[in-house]
Amino acid sequence: MLVAELFASSLRMAVPILLTAIGAVYTERSGIVNIGLEGMMIVGSFWASVGAYFYGPIMGLIYAMMAGAFLALIHSVATVTFRVNQVVSGVALNILAYGSSRFLSLIIFNKATTSHHVSGFKTVDIPGLSEIAFLQPLMTDISPILIMALILVPVSKYIIDKTVFGLRLRSVGENPLAADTLGINVFAMRYAGVIISGMLAGAAGAYLTMEHTGMYVEGMTQGKGYIAMAAMIFGNWTPTGTLWASLLFGFAEALSLRAGEGSIIPYQFIKMIPYVLTLAVLTGIVKKSTPPAASGVPYDRSTG
Amino acid sequence: MGKAVELKNITKRFPGIVANDRINLEIQKGEIHAIVGENGAGKSTLMKVLAGLYQPDEGEIFIFGKKEKISSPNKAIELKIGMVHQHFMLVDRFTVLENIILGAEKKKGFTIDEKTCRETLKKLLELYNFKLDLDARLEDISVGHAQRVEIMKVLYRGADILVLDEPTAVLAPQEVDELFINLRRLKEEGKTIIFISHKLDEVLSIADNITVLRRGKAVGTVPADSVTKEELARMMVGKPVLMKLNKTPAEKGEVKLSLRDVMMKGHGGRNVLNGVTLKVCGGEIYGIVGVEGNGQKELAEAIIGLQQDYDGDIKVCGKPTKGLSIKQIRDMGVAFIPEDRHRQGLVLPMKVWENSILGLHRKEEFKKKTSIDIKKAEEFTSRNVKGFSIIISSIHQAIEGLSGGNQQKVILSRELSQEPIVILAAQPTRGLDIGAMEFVHQQLLEKRREGKAVVLISADLEEVLSISDRVGVIFDGEIVAEFTPEETTLEDIGVYMLGAHKKAGESA
Amino acid sequence: MKKDYKILALKILAPFVAIILAAFISSLIILAIDKDPLQVFYTMFKFSFKRIDSIAMILFNATPLIFSALAVSIGFKMGLFNIGIEGQYLIGTFMAALVGFSIKGLPAVIHLPLVILAGIVGGMIWSFIPIFLKVKRGVHEVISTIMLNYVAYSLIHFLIADVFRDRQQSLVEGLGSVLVRTPKLAASAVIPKMHGFLAFFGVQLPKHVYLNWFFPISVVLAAGIYYLIMRTPFGYELRAVGHNPEASCIAGINQGRIYFKGFLLSGAVAGLVGLSDLLGYFRYMDMDFPRGYGFDGIAVALIAQNNPFGIIASAILFGFLKRGSEGIQALLKVPMDTIVILQSLMIIFIVVITKIINDYVKRLEKREVA
Repeated sequence: MLVAELFASSLRMAVPILLTAIGAVYTERSGIVNIGLEGMMIVGSFWASVGAYFYGPIMGLIYAMMAGAFLALIHSVATVTFRVNQVVSGVALNILAYGSSRFLSLIIFNKATTSHHVSGFKTVDIPGLSEIAFLQPLMTDISPILIMALILVPVSKYIIDKTVFGLRLRSVGENPLAADTLGINVFAMRYAGVIISGMLAGAAGAYLTMEHTGMYVEGMTQGKGYIAMAAMIFGNWTPTGTLWASLLFGFAEALSLRAGEGSIIPYQFIKMIPYVLTLAVLTGIVKKSTPPAASGVPYDRSTG
Repeated sequence: MGKAVELKNITKRFPGIVANDRINLEIQKGEIHAIVGENGAGKSTLMKVLAGLYQPDEGEIFIFGKKEKISSPNKAIELKIGMVHQHFMLVDRFTVLENIILGAEKKKGFTIDEKTCRETLKKLLELYNFKLDLDARLEDISVGHAQRVEIMKVLYRGADILVLDEPTAVLAPQEVDELFINLRRLKEEGKTIIFISHKLDEVLSIADNITVLRRGKAVGTVPADSVTKEELARMMVGKPVLMKLNKTPAEKGEVKLSLRDVMMKGHGGRNVLNGVTLKVCGGEIYGIVGVEGNGQKELAEAIIGLQQDYDGDIKVCGKPTKGLSIKQIRDMGVAFIPEDRHRQGLVLPMKVWENSILGLHRKEEFKKKTSIDIKKAEEFTSRNVKGFSIIISSIHQAIEGLSGGNQQKVILSRELSQEPIVILAAQPTRGLDIGAMEFVHQQLLEKRREGKAVVLISADLEEVLSISDRVGVIFDGEIVAEFTPEETTLEDIGVYMLGAHKKAGESA
Repeated sequence: MKKDYKILALKILAPFVAIILAAFISSLIILAIDKDPLQVFYTMFKFSFKRIDSIAMILFNATPLIFSALAVSIGFKMGLFNIGIEGQYLIGTFMAALVGFSIKGLPAVIHLPLVILAGIVGGMIWSFIPIFLKVKRGVHEVISTIMLNYVAYSLIHFLIADVFRDRQQSLVEGLGSVLVRTPKLAASAVIPKMHGFLAFFGVQLPKHVYLNWFFPISVVLAAGIYYLIMRTPFGYELRAVGHNPEASCIAGINQGRIYFKGFLLSGAVAGLVGLSDLLGYFRYMDMDFPRGYGFDGIAVALIAQNNPFGIIASAILFGFLKRGSEGIQALLKVPMDTIVILQSLMIIFIVVITKIINDYVKRLEKREVA
């Protein structure tokens, strides 16, 4: 029972990381590093509260994804079209996301740091399996976004490995000049990769607001966007690998929530677990991993 | 027959230079037409115009008799023009199949129809009698095969006009022969081939007609069977050329650099250096030739100390260098002219004077209390600029604004200024025009005369044979043979470059 | 030579264009909430520059940002992005506070430098971890420093709330509950204000202004860092590694050692960020000690294009924006956060514009030679 509960809670905590990390796979495979994912998650969490508060959860999700996509569009214009440093642009967007959410929260909800309460999607139970007592925590009260995130893993794997879009996306991340000479629109592919990542990070923000907390709270992303990047690296730039990595980080978050009062370890240290784990994971694996060859390198036709 | 390509008054200008100056050119259907010229004569620009990568400022292009505007690479493909680039445009981590179909995938909905693609390719391979493993990853196949992938790419797209940009630059002589067999086969099938090169022997053996470019202008088109090498060379340079370098006999001194059984593992545990043994004496130039990727890069990096993870000994003047830092090895008198000057030799955004003291910046002569004596560094740079005739507008400009030849001269002047004992030059003339190339050769010969030990790593066989005193052939991380230039021919060396006769390298 | 001036002019122009563009978009945002942008900007200026004490407050606001941006710029110069200033200064501030409240009875001439040194050491400790992981294990410094920021938040929380909490505070009449904070620092650890010095020149500052000697220290430090980067062999190596690590390595420069030294220097400067507030204003560290200087420092450094003197100017600009934003919130009921949006827009514009200008300059230089 406890095991299933812990697993269920890990899975729930993993969802925002997983969604964002899959997004990170798309953007990195196209050759653009997107540190701005954290900010895209922030605007997603805020706009989800706006959409959900006024029009219900579906609009919440859509608002969130559009907000993430909008920020991603700015990132693409800066990094793909103008070829500015990708990390710098991402950090600037994170600050913009923070400032604009705070500002708009004041305007819309009259409070700088939280929204009003919003309701999320109706949760579902898995028919049949939810009857088994042992599996109950896992099979009941499931958010549709969680199911969407899980389905996204094989779907993304298929898109990236088997479709024309996927092949072209990978090619601009590996050797944009070669792709360009074959008539592939490097810019369009990179815009697509970045914008998909923004939409998914936005969706992750929506999950936090609508499905997890029931409201937008300033700072609720707590670095999950960065942790998602680590998960993507740990997952070796693949959707499947990313799933396992996200579950590991979800587990760490679940642990840090669980161990509360009465523990011998001060709770501040338990709160550190996800961050320390991220560091540990990166320290352990980074040398073996193989990023796309042109990741982080701006493409300029004239210099090739 | 009829004309496949006709260019009328094509002009392309870049800031400050006219790369193509009213070029007229006719290429018949089904011929192999060579375009020759020195580096910088405008060959590549002309080809990029044909491939849709550049737009001409003036002039007209006719393809199969119809006036066309080649506005993009896509348009070129539409017109059945296929470009085989000098630097392969391939994705290392993709398979051969993926590389070929990329951008022209046969689809089933959104999905790649791999089966149809594969069948189409198999038919093409059979038709032209090409051998290729479609499922191999690019990073695992040889240069010759990679080039076949490039050719297949354009055939798969239905090209009738193939443009090959310096296709032999990276190949061993035997691979060149295979390439020529393939090209003749393509010609038999009615394809038109435009062959760009500056190697006159090759051009004479493969082409039907030859057009010579000089400083952006087309100086004439001649049938290959009615012209000699010397005549072509004269057309290219505009004056009679000395094909021989002024080289005095070697006065060999003591052994300055020696390698014994140097082994190094690369990615995936494969040996990239497989027991290299060689000795280089003062007053000689030791040339190392081989097909690219056979350990040249690793060998250079081991000698300079960039790669420390090897077994065996490397000694400079009898002292082992293992475990020493690059700085310590350089201080022992090793100068290094790296293969990739942009990545390894220069800091592009920094100024000319800053680049010309790179690595020397902690020397006593540039020190003023705690800071760098900028005045002395500037004087030093100005002296080099004068001595090496480097053309710049100011020693305060960023070095990225200089031409390749001038950048190379900055490196050369810097590396040779410290009275080195061993000079390690990796592809020192790559991408330079003939004037700069000659200058580099003279400098190396001058150092040889002064009694330095020079190691010249080059992919250009003719270069190595013309200035080296001894030549070592590297194959699969091993020196498989050593010759003196007098006792060997291009073909002989070629056999060893491809590993056909593997024999242990003996030191002379 | 004429071209050189043109290039210089373009480079100086870039930040101004960015500021104007950002101000323009912010105006649209202000319009959208039914306020008059001109009035907002006018109020900001009036509120900030009308009185001498207001100008002193701007300089006080700018002080931590100068340190922070200098720390960021050292990282940028060698091609590393130190987003960890935030965590580094919190740890540095805590270390300084610890030395400040736990040692008593020392004369100020010894105690104050000791406290400052503690801050520097704290910043260095927290910058050592990411650079160690980078050089030894290849962990990207951006992610590791961000993770360490979160770890620092929790660690500081633990240290202040659980370990070194001041439990002997007396309740101030009428002021709710006691603060979760460290004990007060000894008087000998306090940085003197600049009031006396300025009074000598006839400038009288009121008591509620906290401008202190860290401001001149930051200016001197900026000059020192300029000298270090542009004149010394170490600075030369730092820049060479920043632009091209591989070529530097082949030239015999030990990249790992430069990374270590440079990043520790960056951390040391970061350790000073919080000290003006700690030693010149609060005199204790609590859970609400100002955060975000690290991120503002990135913005300041980018606008100044990593030039130390430019950093002083753009930090003062940010000091003014902060002061002005207090003004518009108090007088016009325009949210202070408008300024955060303005600042982040400035960063985006500045990076795009400098990139465009640099590309243009490169083309200019190429043209000359060819």
